[in-house]
Parts: sequence; structure tokens; C-alpha cells
Amino acid sequence: MDDRINIVAGHALLPADPTKRAELLEFADAHHVLGQMAHFHLEKASDKTAEVLENGLFRANFDHQMLRFEMDRLQRALIGTGITPVILKGGAYVATGSNAGKGRRVSDLDIMVGREQIAETEALLKNAGWEFEAGVDNLYDINYYRKYMHELPPLRHKSRRTLIDVHHGLVPQTASYSFKSDLMLQSAEFIPGTRLKVFTPVDRFIHSAIHSFADGSFDTPSRSVLELHLLLQDLTAPEKSALVARAVQLGAAKPVATALYLLGQALDDTAAKDLRASLGGKAVVDVPIWAFKQKLLRPEKARAAKLVLFLRSHLIRMPVYLLIIHSLRKFLKFSRRLLSRKPG
Amino acid sequence: MSSVFKPVCELSINAVRSSLLEGSLELSLGVFSMRIGGTEKSLVDFLLDTYRDVPARLGPKDVTDISVNVRAPNFFRKYIRRQVIPDPGFIVPAVPLPPRLAPLAMEMGLNLSVALKCCRMTTFHAAVVGNEEGAILISAHSGGGKSTLAAALMAEGYRLYSDEFGLLDMREGLLWPHPRPVSLKAESIEVIKELSGDEWMSPTLTGTPKGDIAYRRVRPSEIDSAAVPGEAKLILFPVFSKGCNPSAKELPKAEALMKLIPSSTNYHLLGEAAFNASINMVQNARAFEITYGNVEDSLMMARDLAGKAGL
Repeated sequence: MDDRINIVAGHALLPADPTKRAELLEFADAHHVLGQMAHFHLEKASDKTAEVLENGLFRANFDHQMLRFEMDRLQRALIGTGITPVILKGGAYVATGSNAGKGRRVSDLDIMVGREQIAETEALLKNAGWEFEAGVDNLYDINYYRKYMHELPPLRHKSRRTLIDVHHGLVPQTASYSFKSDLMLQSAEFIPGTRLKVFTPVDRFIHSAIHSFADGSFDTPSRSVLELHLLLQDLTAPEKSALVARAVQLGAAKPVATALYLLGQALDDTAAKDLRASLGGKAVVDVPIWAFKQKLLRPEKARAAKLVLFLRSHLIRMPVYLLIIHSLRKFLKFSRRLLSRKPG
Repeated sequence: MSSVFKPVCELSINAVRSSLLEGSLELSLGVFSMRIGGTEKSLVDFLLDTYRDVPARLGPKDVTDISVNVRAPNFFRKYIRRQVIPDPGFIVPAVPLPPRLAPLAMEMGLNLSVALKCCRMTTFHAAVVGNEEGAILISAHSGGGKSTLAAALMAEGYRLYSDEFGLLDMREGLLWPHPRPVSLKAESIEVIKELSGDEWMSPTLTGTPKGDIAYRRVRPSEIDSAAVPGEAKLILFPVFSKGCNPSAKELPKAEALMKLIPSSTNYHLLGEAAFNASINMVQNARAFEITYGNVEDSLMMARDLAGKAGL
């Protein structure tokens, strides 16, 4: 087990040995947490180390500026309608000034609207210059998204080239888990001075846990765990005590339990340990939890864990028969493209 | 292992080779420090020859701004029909090259890293030379003759800051050196050989995707002043037009600024700070577009305009 995640989170000092320090900075850069790490370590750093950390902050600042601009354009696009989208993930952390947003990289804007508003939102965004991303702008992919997914195909703005993901759910419609995202939407709060909303702080933690442990293959382990740690730290005492009941109510007890377990294990987060205990149930380390832990703490070595999580990500997304049909379609498309490729 | 920097040529060939194999050869190049790794013999020879006076240490002894590993693009190309690409730690669109062109792969990797990874400076795609009075920023598209003009001005006694990047810091508004060998193509190689002497030119790399390439080495005096920045006094936009009469046209400040901004690799990323620094730079410098048909003409005009700008 290594302590990189603890150094990234500011719990331990940067290594004094230059080779180890250089490796750590490269690790942080490759795992997209250099800006966040800079936030904890810049004050104590000097010379080249400080300059490299500063680099991470510059890029994060650019992302945040892009995000604020896109949120402004999003409001313009929806003006005069009753649609008040919820800004998800990084966008929400930056917009609310939460600690989880400081120095964080954000590559696109993720938003969520009610299922019944999805068609109108799509039309309004297209009217304002967004269009389906090249590569998924074909009939099969578009229908696939509409029929099975919890979001529209990614929309890219034709002149600014920025990306927006419009969700109407938290996990695919075909997924083996489902969560009561309508309850989260109902209690979402306005960002002051805007027509945009964010989930409540408790729901933001729960959504982050769902995103990491009940969807996808845990592709940015350090970043995800750091995010959960900071979101939990930001909760007030009453919010913390409401977390467990809320997780159960939303049907998200399992991903939240996983999140709390990993925070306790990797970052020795005592608040997480206490909450994990009050969540009850047996604290078994099943195969996915083992794999999450491996991928977080041994990212270079955890081949078996990565394979497990890759397979799991597909199996929880859709039933096996759909997965086979979809994979066949993708394979045919891929091989047709290979065959039609001109030599040279 | 010593922790002080020594010129590359004072290191033994075996030390350089094993350090490259470990990926731990550290070069100090003005504002940026770089860590290089690679397995090719051509890379060892290139560094010992073309980077011979550049300060290096076997280490690494500190964190570096940039780290480039020249490696095979995949497992098979390590052994069968061998190829190399630069790996700067992020995904880049690199053309695989034969092992003998590993030096070119390294240069491409270093350039991409400065352009895309380093955000402490507003970075312009330009050559910069200067003297005690200030600096000349030469902005042109690839093939516009900026490296050739920079190398020609070096022969006139100006010191090299960089032939690829104008690095403008956003606190003091000064240009900072990043002195690496000047990359010269095709006919320019002979022209600069004549001006600077054979002993300052690297062997020519033939048959690269960009044609023949040779490098004009950095001089020890330029390495000694690699930490000394300067203020831009003159901004040149050379335009090559075969066989034309030489002409120089002074540009209004606004036009000069609007020509510089698109040449920056990180202006959009740095926002207001880059805007303010660029405006300040343009306001304190004179800017000219020079149209020329041969190096003598461009050198003559540059010399003349440098005089007008007080350089």
C-alpha cells in the first residue's frame, strides 16, 4: 500500500527525495489531481516544485473560467422556459465554492433535467449552437442513447467546442441498480443569483458515490476518492447525521457504504468510519470493493482488479443479452471501418 | 554522482547512456528544466554533440518542468522494424520515426511540452534574440524563416533566448531565455554554416518528415546568461517571398497584438493575465513586418530596425 493518496489530499508532506517527489507530481498530473494537490502544498513548496504545482492551478483556473462562461450561456439558452437544470459534479463544486472544487480539473459541463423536459432541453440547446458530438451523431448511437442511456449523446458547441452532457437520470435506464433521482431533483437548491440548481450537499456526496461505485469502472480513483473526502468534510454535523437515512431513502446505501469504507481505509477518515458503522449491515469486502481498493492504492499493478471493474461496469449497465447485441454492433462497425481504411 | 550541473560534453558517454536508460538525465535550459529518457544510441550522440555545453546532471536531483521519454510506440516496434516516438507524459499526435531520428523525436517532445504543458509564461511561437539593451521577438509561421533569422543575428553578436518560443512572464512582462539548439532546415543549413562556421553546426539529419535538419549549437556565453530576462524592444514579422525586393512596414500596436495572439499556445488558457502582459509588451516595442527574398536582405533590415529600436 502506498501513501500517495494521503500526500495528494494534504495529509502528508511531499517526499523530500527529488526522484520520489518528481514521480509523485507526475502521478498527480496523470491522475488529474495536480491542481487540487497544489492547493494543499503550494504554500510550503519552493523552487521548481512550486512552479510545477502552480502549473496545475493555471489549468484548473482555465477550466473554471470555461465552466462559468458555459453556465452563463446555458442560462441564456434556456431563458424564458421553466427549465432550471441541476449542475452536476465538478461544475456544482466550482459554482458553490466548495472545497472539492478548489484546483479541480473540469473538462465538460454535466447537467440534469427532469425526464419530461429532456426533449425541450435538447431542442433549445441545439438552437443555441450545440450539436451532437461527431462520432455519435449517427442513427444507431443516437437511438441507443435515447432508448437505453440516462443522458443525451454528448453535445458540443459548434463554435466554442465545449462539451455539455444532459442527463435525466444517474445511471443507464437498463442498469441493474436504480436510484431515486427524482427525489434528489425535488430537493435541489438554486445557486444564488442564477436559474441553475445544485443538489443539496448531502445529495452531492451520494451522487459522487453513485458515480464512482455504481456506474463506470472507477477510472479516476485518486480524484474520485479525494472528491468524496472533501465533500464529506464540507458537510455540517446535522448534514452528516442525515446522510445515512438519505442514502437508504434514495436506494444508494451500497455505493455510499463502499465510499465510506474506502475513505476510512485509504485516508483514515474518522467521520467516514463512524458513518460506515452507523450504516449497519455486515462490513464484508466483496470482489468489487476489493477491486476498488486495489485500483486506488496500486494503480500501476492492479491488472486483475481493473479487469474485474471493466467487466462489472458493463454488466451493471445492461442485461447480458443487450450487452451482446450492442457489442456485436460496435464490433461490426469497427471492423467495417478497418476494412474500408485506405492503405498508407 | 555529483549534484552540480556540468556541461554535457564533460560527462562520459557511458554515464549519459545509463542516465538516459534510467530516464534521469536532467538538463537545465533557462526557465525550464527537462528530464530525458531514451534507449537509442543516436540520442546519446546527439546530446554529447549538439547539447555539448548545456548544463546537465545525472540524477534527477530535483523536480523538472518537463519529462520526455523517447520510446518505441508499442511492444513490437521495440524489436521489429524499430521506431521511436516522444512520450511527454500526455497524449500527443506523434509520427513514429526510425531510431536514427530519435533526436528529432526528443526535440518534438520538448517543444510540445513547452507549448502545451507549461503555463507560467505566456508562450508565443517565435524566436527571440537580444543584447544588453533588450530583446527582438521574431514571429512567423513554420517555414517563415524565424530560426534562420535568429541564427543569422546570433552571428552578428546577439544572444539567443530561444528559436522556438517567446516566453513572456506575467509579473514583470519580460522575455525569458530557453536556449536550445536552433533548428535549421534545407538551404538555411548552408547559409548559417557559412555565417557561423562549421564548428557550431551539428551533423545534418537527412530524410526527416521535414526534410534535412541541422542544429546550430548554443554558445557557452548564452548558457551563462540563461537566467537573465530582457524586455522586448523590437517585434518582427518576417514574410518570405522568393525573389522580391526587401521592404519593411511599421505596424500599429493593435495590429501587432492581433498578429501575436494567434501564435500563442496558451493565451486562451491564461486569460486576463496573458492579455495584460501581451498589451504591455507590444506597447513598449516597435513592430515591423519585413518582406524578404533572401537571408542577406532580412538580416540587413533586422540590423537596421534593431538600431532604430535602440538595440
